[in-house]
Amino acid sequence: ENISDFSVNITDCTQVVVPEEVFFTVAAAGILENLLILIAVVRNKNLHLPMYFFICSLAISDMLGSLYKTLENIFIILCKMGYLTRHGDFEKKLDDAMDSMFILSLLGSIFSLLAIAADRYITIFYALRYHNIMTLRRALVILAIIWAFCAGSSIAIALFSYEAATVIPFTILFPLMMFFILCLYVHMFLLARSHARKIASLPSSTVHHRTNMKGAITLTIFLGVFLCCWAPFVLHILLARFCPHNPYCACYMSIFHVNGTLIMCNAIINPMIFAFRSPELRSTFKKMFYCSR
Amino acid sequence: MSALRLISNRTSQQALSDSDYTWDYEYYEYGPVSFEGLKAHKYSIVIGFWVGLAVFVIFMFFVLTLLTKTGAPHQDNAELSEKRFRMNSFVADFGRPLESERIFSHQMAEESQSLFHFCINEVDHMNKEKESQKGPSLESNTHFQEVPKSSGMFEEDLRCLTKFNIPNFVNTEQTSSLGEDDLLISEPPIILENKLVMKSSHRILD
Repeated sequence: ENISDFSVNITDCTQVVVPEEVFFTVAAAGILENLLILIAVVRNKNLHLPMYFFICSLAISDMLGSLYKTLENIFIILCKMGYLTRHGDFEKKLDDAMDSMFILSLLGSIFSLLAIAADRYITIFYALRYHNIMTLRRALVILAIIWAFCAGSSIAIALFSYEAATVIPFTILFPLMMFFILCLYVHMFLLARSHARKIASLPSSTVHHRTNMKGAITLTIFLGVFLCCWAPFVLHILLARFCPHNPYCACYMSIFHVNGTLIMCNAIINPMIFAFRSPELRSTFKKMFYCSR
Repeated sequence: MSALRLISNRTSQQALSDSDYTWDYEYYEYGPVSFEGLKAHKYSIVIGFWVGLAVFVIFMFFVLTLLTKTGAPHQDNAELSEKRFRMNSFVADFGRPLESERIFSHQMAEESQSLFHFCINEVDHMNKEKESQKGPSLESNTHFQEVPKSSGMFEEDLRCLTKFNIPNFVNTEQTSSLGEDDLLISEPPIILENKLVMKSSHRILD
């Protein structure tokens, strides 16, 4: 194996290493949690609703992300132990496949979050016609389109290299979607606030301020978590494309493993802020666990 | 991880001709990166990025909490007093005391929920669709799903809701049900929609 010739400077930014135990624990927790949600939705007929299908789509993309990281780590361990060569064709193809799985997970997450936000928006602003607008069949068609698009673009990005033409749309898509989701939620939030004001006949507004504070906290958590978990990786891709030899960029890129762990943490947190808020889903879990005892 | 590797390999092939690259999983070699003569701290991008992200999230939170407080107090009072006036006129028709408004505003959640359930069940029963097994749950999103899907559902909804006389429901906590002599005008479905919307929006955001 070739090691670069220049001497390692003490001031170099060495790779920040995340211990493998932490890595595998986080990944396993993410996979298990999301799998649990999928099983719960499949088993309970009451949960066959568009809202839960979108949550399932989010769970699947989270699972894919964690799975990718786990497989990659296993791959590295196998390489270290010498079972796999590093230069073979098979490894490269496998590597490409795993790359596309990861990008599929990211795109799937973004579009699932968008679908969940749009679904809630329609629930609030088209309340009485919701069941006509968002039928089960339409929800499944929407999900099929989303996943087909994500699969196509992830394969394209993984195969057709990392030219600027692919990196830039990818990195623009991310903040654009975030902004759009933020707008949807802010609009819903404003409506909730105005309705809370209308029904609160108490002149002292401490009650509904608290409620709206809760809404503000919830919204901030939704978007803050997604941003904090995915933005580091997106910035990493940008820097790797445009300034790989700059020392500042190289120092940022040395924390890549931490960024990867953050993405897996997102897979753990997402079910908590989306799926577990539903009482029906929680009661399904309780039934599942009590029945198994 | 491997995505990064591919990136670095390709750019290096374009940029440098004599660099050593390996398909290496453990660490990344970007060729000779000199760390001398750095003006700022070497982790400045990392620090700057995370500080910027934290500032953005906190800023977003403050904007959202400010949204709760916008609408000047006098505007707020005017709105409230106008609504109260309307409700008073409703209420006065039935001779209810004014204080009950407060009670109803607290209980409206449960009452409108159970009312809507009743409405849904009624519609289900009327259309002889398959029963949903769920009992009264507080999942307001699913409320809309329980209503059977048919093209004329919207009109049926209206009929159902007008039948159950939503604004009067407020009164039933103290008086017995007022029956069919309701004050239903064109407003109730809109009021109901607003209430439902409010309920579901609170459900989502809380």
